[in-house]
Amino acid sequence: MNKTELPASQPGLAVPTIESRDLRKSFGAVEVLKGVSFKAYEHQVISIIGASGSGKSTFLRCLNFLEAPSSGEIDFKGRSLEIGGGRAPTRIEIEGLRRRTGMVFQQFNLWSHWTVLENIIKVPIHVHGVPRQQAVQRAMDLLAKVGLREKVNAYPASLSGGQQQRVAIARALAVEPELLLFDEPTSALDPELVGEVLAVIRALAKEGRTMLVVTHEMSFAREVSDKVVFFHDGRIEEEGPPAEVLRQPRSPRLGAFLKSVR
Amino acid sequence: MNPLHLLAFGPTGWGDELAYGAAMTLVIAALGFAGGLVLGLPIAAARLSSNVVLRAISGVYVTVVRGVPELLVIYLLFFGGGQFYRYVADALGYSGAVAADAFSAGVLAVILICAAYSAEVFRGAFQAIPKGQIEAANAFGMTRSTLFCRIKLPQMLRYALPSIANVWQLVLKDTALVSVTGLVELMRTIDVAAGSTRSPFLFYMTAILIFLAFTAVSNKAFEGAERHFSRSVIGGYGK
Amino acid sequence: MRWDVFFGSFPTLLSALPVTLELAVISITLGFLLAVLLAAARLSGLRALAALAYAYVYVIRGTPLLAQVFFVYYGLGQLDAMRNSILWPVFREAYACALIALSLNTAAYGSEIIRGGLLSVPRGQIEAAKAFGLSPTQRFRHVVFPQALRAMLPAYGNELILMLKGTSLASTITIIELTGQARILASETYAPIEVFLAAGAIYLGLNVVLSFGVRLLEGRVQRSGGFAMEG
Repeated sequence: MNKTELPASQPGLAVPTIESRDLRKSFGAVEVLKGVSFKAYEHQVISIIGASGSGKSTFLRCLNFLEAPSSGEIDFKGRSLEIGGGRAPTRIEIEGLRRRTGMVFQQFNLWSHWTVLENIIKVPIHVHGVPRQQAVQRAMDLLAKVGLREKVNAYPASLSGGQQQRVAIARALAVEPELLLFDEPTSALDPELVGEVLAVIRALAKEGRTMLVVTHEMSFAREVSDKVVFFHDGRIEEEGPPAEVLRQPRSPRLGAFLKSVR
Repeated sequence: MNPLHLLAFGPTGWGDELAYGAAMTLVIAALGFAGGLVLGLPIAAARLSSNVVLRAISGVYVTVVRGVPELLVIYLLFFGGGQFYRYVADALGYSGAVAADAFSAGVLAVILICAAYSAEVFRGAFQAIPKGQIEAANAFGMTRSTLFCRIKLPQMLRYALPSIANVWQLVLKDTALVSVTGLVELMRTIDVAAGSTRSPFLFYMTAILIFLAFTAVSNKAFEGAERHFSRSVIGGYGK
Repeated sequence: MRWDVFFGSFPTLLSALPVTLELAVISITLGFLLAVLLAAARLSGLRALAALAYAYVYVIRGTPLLAQVFFVYYGLGQLDAMRNSILWPVFREAYACALIALSLNTAAYGSEIIRGGLLSVPRGQIEAAKAFGLSPTQRFRHVVFPQALRAMLPAYGNELILMLKGTSLASTITIIELTGQARILASETYAPIEVFLAAGAIYLGLNVVLSFGVRLLEGRVQRSGGFAMEG
């Protein structure tokens, strides 16, 4: 059976794109992740919600080892990277995982010494060995997709936050990632700029991309995602389809959280 | 007689000698600056390294060189250079004549001084790079060398440029101190001319004017470079 | 490395230390007073005065201290106007010339630091002080001065170190301070490395003490300063 034909809502038979088992992370004496087990399948769009300090961003950043987990296991496409106890993943393994994922940050983190075009083509060229011409062609297509073709030679500093974030999304797509990680992609934006960025992310979700989105935008979580995961105090407190989780939360903590963000 | 005749070119005046001296000053400054920058980079890297020993050694180097008069560094290398080479020659079993010449001692002194100051500039500039941009490079799986060459180094240089202009000024001025070794650069030529013509006022004024001209020209050059490299910061032509 | 020579040279070198310290203290003091005047001139709003002060600072900062020392000692001494003036008894002395050149030099750098410190105080805070009816003197005393002092202390501390090192140039016009003494001792003992390293150690020690003192002062300024310092 062809994997791409698997309905996203019934992924039981397939290998998860990414899976964590009993993932823990401490900063000094403070344990911020207290054993998180999580699965994301191909074509799933998963919204990760929770109050600030609940560990949701740390969890996302542990998945590609921007934060080194203290213990636990991460499988990417069935390949295991074990942390603590067993053998620590090597830098090569970590780089290998990172090259197959794309990440979008809260603060955009565009490289300020490069133009928009350079920001998009440099990683494909220097990390993935894509021929320059091909990288440029693809970058132009992506810029058209995020509606910023005319900014191709601009520097990030001259763009609005919303434009920078759309470039950052194009940059993440340029590496043809098998998994897209969004770390609060609209939290640093002025309210009037949130819409343009969410529209781009929605379009990506419709394409069937595998996406993990840490977000505070409840309408986005409700309308776009296949699954919502609620973090509380370093653990997954509740998860499920948005219609159930967001309408009839079982956990009183999720209920309180949903009231507070409404 | 018009005292300015003393500055004429040809056999009657000191023009040619001064031009030669000025050229020598620029050569020493350029070599010392280039060498100092090249040496300053690994020292800055050592200052920021996680290795305690590297950090301590580079820290001591920077503190010592910046805490001691430049004149003393030049004396040490010029007068001590011969003794140092002697030790090395003896250790290698060589008994022939060895000597430190003024030129190499002068250039080496400027390199060592420039390295200490530029290392501090580079260190600050590395630390000024926004952490998020390095994190983004990591998130896309850049190797350490790609990260360094493509992100850290170009960004660092951009932040460092204004202060590097100051280091160049410092180097240019320190070059005058090399005259104490008798090396015939601009300041030494001025000393000789001032003494033999008994016109110190004219010649020291000339020295000041020549150095001012160097300063003005290099200021302009660095301003241009800064404008070029900071185009991405201001917003640039892509707007 | 002959350690006996290295350690043995300290007494002789230290005997010249008072000259170095005297040069440093006097020129730093004179230079500071002149620096305040220069900074005031640059911020005076009088265009001619500001331009003059700017030109002075530009010339001093754009030329080597050595050239300035020689200019004051040899260059000015050549002029008949100088030889016939009442200042001649001062300018004929190498020691006085060194003090003058060092003071003039540090004044230029110092004035830039003071000016930068004064300009670093946000305009809004001065405006707020005006709005609350503080007089110009009160504004300076309570709002501008404490903040400017805090902003310029690190840079002025650096300048003090540069000045202490700068006193070594007095040795080029016959003054036997620390570096001059080191040269004499080096040629007497034929051990330049040991002697110059010993002299370097003394300078380094002085500068470590000096920067420690500046940091102590910075700490005090951070903590004290009255209501203008909060916020």
